[in-house]
Amino acid sequence: MVMEKLGDSLQGALKKLIGAGRIDERTVNEVVKDIQRALLQADVNVKLVMGMSQRIKERAMKEDPPAGMNPREHVIRIVYQELMEIIGKGAEIHLKPQTIMMVGLQGSGKTTSTAKLARYFQRKGLKAGVIAADTFRPGAYHQLKTLCEKLNVAFYGEENNPDAVEITRNGLKALEKYDIKIVDTAGRHALEADLIEEMERINAVAKPNHKFMVLDAGIGQQASQQAHAFNDSVGITGVIITKLDGTAKGGGALSAVSETKAPIAFIGVGETPEDFEKFEADRFISRLLGM
Amino acid sequence: YLDSKDLEEPLWELEMGLLESDLALSVSEAIVESVKKQLTGTTKRIGGNTGEIVEEALKKAILDVVSANTFDFDEYVKDKEKPVHIVFVGINGTGKTTSIAKMTHRLLKSDYSVVLAAGDTFRAGAIDQLGIHADRLGVKMIKHQPGADPAAVIYDAVQYAKGHKIDFILSDTAGRMHTNLNLMSQMEKICRVSTPDLIIFVDEAVAGNDAVERAAQFNDAVPIDGSILTKIDADAKGGAAISIAYITGKPILFFGMGQGYEDLKKFDPEWFIGQLFNQ
Ligand SMILES: Nc1nc2c(ncn2[C@@H]2O[C@H](COP(=O)(O)OP(=O)(O)OP(=O)(O)O)[C@@H](O)[C@H]2O)c(=O)[nH]1
Ligand SMILES: Nc1nc2c(ncn2[C@@H]2O[C@H](COP(=O)(O)OP(=O)(O)OP(=O)(O)O)[C@@H](O)[C@H]2O)c(=O)[nH]1
Ligand SMILES: [K+]
Ligand SMILES: [Mg+2]
Ligand SMILES: [Mg+2]
Repeated sequence: MVMEKLGDSLQGALKKLIGAGRIDERTVNEVVKDIQRALLQADVNVKLVMGMSQRIKERAMKEDPPAGMNPREHVIRIVYQELMEIIGKGAEIHLKPQTIMMVGLQGSGKTTSTAKLARYFQRKGLKAGVIAADTFRPGAYHQLKTLCEKLNVAFYGEENNPDAVEITRNGLKALEKYDIKIVDTAGRHALEADLIEEMERINAVAKPNHKFMVLDAGIGQQASQQAHAFNDSVGITGVIITKLDGTAKGGGALSAVSETKAPIAFIGVGETPEDFEKFEADRFISRLLGM
Repeated sequence: YLDSKDLEEPLWELEMGLLESDLALSVSEAIVESVKKQLTGTTKRIGGNTGEIVEEALKKAILDVVSANTFDFDEYVKDKEKPVHIVFVGINGTGKTTSIAKMTHRLLKSDYSVVLAAGDTFRAGAIDQLGIHADRLGVKMIKHQPGADPAAVIYDAVQYAKGHKIDFILSDTAGRMHTNLNLMSQMEKICRVSTPDLIIFVDEAVAGNDAVERAAQFNDAVPIDGSILTKIDADAKGGAAISIAYITGKPILFFGMGQGYEDLKKFDPEWFIGQLFNQ
């Protein structure tokens, strides 16, 4: 499911190498071009793709395949390594008391993922509570409250208080006895200066151990730029990719990871609280390349 | 004469620019290919610059895509028998509910009356969200309980509009993935039984290549009459608008330019091309 289309097209590209006895420049160029297309179609940042395909080309031509490795395996190994270079290892999620702040663009899935995350920790035996610090989007309070009631997760919110910073402060106090405190924030983008500033103030008050940037799997070339701005502003420690139950391939999220060096922590694969998985980098790339 | 070799370099540069503007690769390749075919073998004015010729041809090709089948929303609603019923559909979180609020504001400014239908009975807080907008805008919202049949809610709103001589029914629906067959057939049913005058597909300008896939699927399922592209204020170049217009053959109606009620801009092809190429 996850990026399986990208995997398919990569595998298609790599098939061209089957039977190629030795690597000549023409074959490599052809394969690299196909890999480029696959990555571009998956919304990986254009500049990142160009840089990466250049490196694959050079390495495929220059590096001698390890003993016993045929040309095809050799190029697969290089592509694997280059993707691994971008994705890195998945985030380590410690099962201990912590505060987490959720941030991201409008509609990316922060509130839904807040509830899913609380559920995740609760299942691991930790007491989780959430704070509704989105005072901007109409209905945000009700949305999170309803989700928490269904899951039996502690909820803190102040329906008529427009001050998200104050709510965060009050919420942390009210949830003092809870192991896990998750702060849901309003959606915002890099050009909304007031909202970016608000996020910085929430960050200063919450002093979260984790700052997860929630990214829609369908986001295109804006991913890098937005992630860069969020990272500059509060320092992103992890990425959550949502809506991977659709056909989007998540290359934007990969680009955000490349930009911020923040690892991917979780993926969202549906609207219900159960549709949430811990991200596994090795499995992810192996599946990507069909290995 | 321009041969395909002269064209390659400038076309490649432009194609990269389009990809960086979030035009989907498949659509970008199709458009670039058509420009290449069109220009190959044509004569170049003495002193003409190949790069400029190519850019002009590409702009023209894109303009053709985004202005195909355009219709003037304002003219349409003016002439249409009332009440006019508009349903908003799309995948999760693109801005359907907010766009309904913005469009309500726009219609009220033109002295039309509006009733909203809380047809998203699925997502937590969805009815509250639309209800807050309705209160702020001073319009009536018809709602049932969470979990109720959306088609029934919308039916009631249409009856209400007819009974109270309201000009417009704007119906919200739950966000749904085009891969979710159940939810897609539910949407198909909603649109069939409530016989809307317009079905508007809402997607976001920050979307990348997937915009093609989901627009195609929604258009297949209902089909749609036009699209709204939101969040273009997030510094998005909005190439997704071209992808969607290309794949559906339906007009782009509006852009969402922010979170305020005023932030709905009627689609203007020339303005769009201008901002796409002036980067
Ligand atoms: N199919 C699918 N839908 C999702 C997923 N995650 C979230 N959603 C849906 O996406 C929409 C937006 O989710 P929210 O959680 O409200 O997003 P948000 O980032 O909190 O939005 P704002 O607070 O307005 O910025 C809702 O319809 C969610 O149900 C997912 O993994 N898959
Ligand atoms: N910056 C910006 N934000 C927008 C725009 N349109 C909508 N939003 C925001 O995007 C988020 C999601 O908008 P909604 O209207 O709830 O989206 P939806 O499609 O109804 O979402 P679901 O019902 O959950 O599928 C909200 O935070 C909106 O304020 C826009 O044009 N620009
Ligand atoms: K989104
Ligand atoms: Mg939210
Ligand atoms: Mg909605």
